[in-house]
Amino acid sequence: MATKSGNATALTVLSPIKNGTMGEISYADITRERCLRLPIHENSPLAKVPNTYLARLFILDDVFYESLPGSDSVFNFSDIFSFFSDQARRDALPKIDHLKSKYLVFSSNFHGDLNEYLAGMWENWTYNDQGIQHDVRYIWEHCVAFDEVTDCNSFISYIKRCQLDASLFFNGSTDDSLQEQLKALYLKQEFTKFVTTHQGKSAIEIQQAFKRFIERVQPENLSGPSWIPGQSNP
Amino acid sequence: MSNIAGKAYAMNVVTPIRWYMVWINRLIFKIALSRPSTLKGLITLSLIHYARWVIIPKDGFPHLHPSQPKENLHYSYMLFFSNFNGSWDQYVDSFTFAIPSGLDLFWKWNIRYPKSVPLTPFHDYIKYNQIDTAHYYSAYPMAASNDVKSAKIVKKALIDFKSASIEKNPDEFLIDYNNLLNELQLEFGEMRPTPIVSLSADAVKQRYLQSQSHHYI
Repeated sequence: MATKSGNATALTVLSPIKNGTMGEISYADITRERCLRLPIHENSPLAKVPNTYLARLFILDDVFYESLPGSDSVFNFSDIFSFFSDQARRDALPKIDHLKSKYLVFSSNFHGDLNEYLAGMWENWTYNDQGIQHDVRYIWEHCVAFDEVTDCNSFISYIKRCQLDASLFFNGSTDDSLQEQLKALYLKQEFTKFVTTHQGKSAIEIQQAFKRFIERVQPENLSGPSWIPGQSNP
Repeated sequence: MSNIAGKAYAMNVVTPIRWYMVWINRLIFKIALSRPSTLKGLITLSLIHYARWVIIPKDGFPHLHPSQPKENLHYSYMLFFSNFNGSWDQYVDSFTFAIPSGLDLFWKWNIRYPKSVPLTPFHDYIKYNQIDTAHYYSAYPMAASNDVKSAKIVKKALIDFKSASIEKNPDEFLIDYNNLLNELQLEFGEMRPTPIVSLSADAVKQRYLQSQSHHYI
């Protein structure tokens, strides 16, 4: 399946937002504002969702078309008809589409199984905005039929109704668990520092220091010293 | 709002494709999937964490309730989401210069795709069809895709070295240690928010603070 690449999964979700307003503000703008106000990096609610590599939220207001005219290599021959009828030429020009709903787009790259991941979202997505604690329902609140979501299972089935399969998922990184990736990054960082600090020292000094280093960083212990998800400073 | 999370940039591009040409694109993607060598160009670029192409058929937008109006579209739509390192220009240009034919193959059937060469019309095409991200999260904002890959190599080498050499006598230990450093010299590098990223991160922070200061909901 194109949505998976090894153990990495590409989740693409388009949730239609209700047309309408609350006061003078559309539901789409309310949702956009809520996404914009999410704390970033280690404070993002996504940092609490296990195994999220990279993820994003945005509002698809409409579909846009923009390009240079006359650059379509296959269908330009229809321009020939313009010799006979201007209507034919105009009919061959691209049509303009508009969406009837705006969509909340959630795209995530994560490690592991979809059900487990979505359950992780339902259980762990939490953040504080000006003293008020919000869970995952706050972002999806104004989406069509989201009022049917009452528990973890109904959340999972709702997201799956909004899910789109990827035609091609390219993994240019690794498909290890996030814990594994973060531990490896931590080790790379710490070992690089170790190497530069101990350059030119005697064999015995380096060996003793290396033993202390291994004790400290515990390379095989994934839950031991490591980076935290979303860590933005060394 | 931000398309940037540390060293990663989130690109969203939505482009129309004729519904009766969708099957060709799907076939091309399928071939690309079944023959990993076709994605060699992308792998060589090495600045991508993860990327995906999603095709929404013209009647395939999620419809969840009778109260939701059904979409009535002329075209199907192709979504391209990428997570890459570096600036927008570096990314778009690297595609043009490194894998122009592969790129053209993936977008060829999209409405009036200008091809990736020459550069300016291609820039315009991506720019005008790109949608900004409202919230972008990276689990490792200080790391590039290459850091994640090299960290995996460092971790394995370190564990292997620990088991094989830590208890040797100091002189033999040093020989092994120097060999280890030779092996890993391309994988080392301390990760920090770089100055360029800091400027971007600062812009993100400013926008974030601005959004915190007004709350109309």
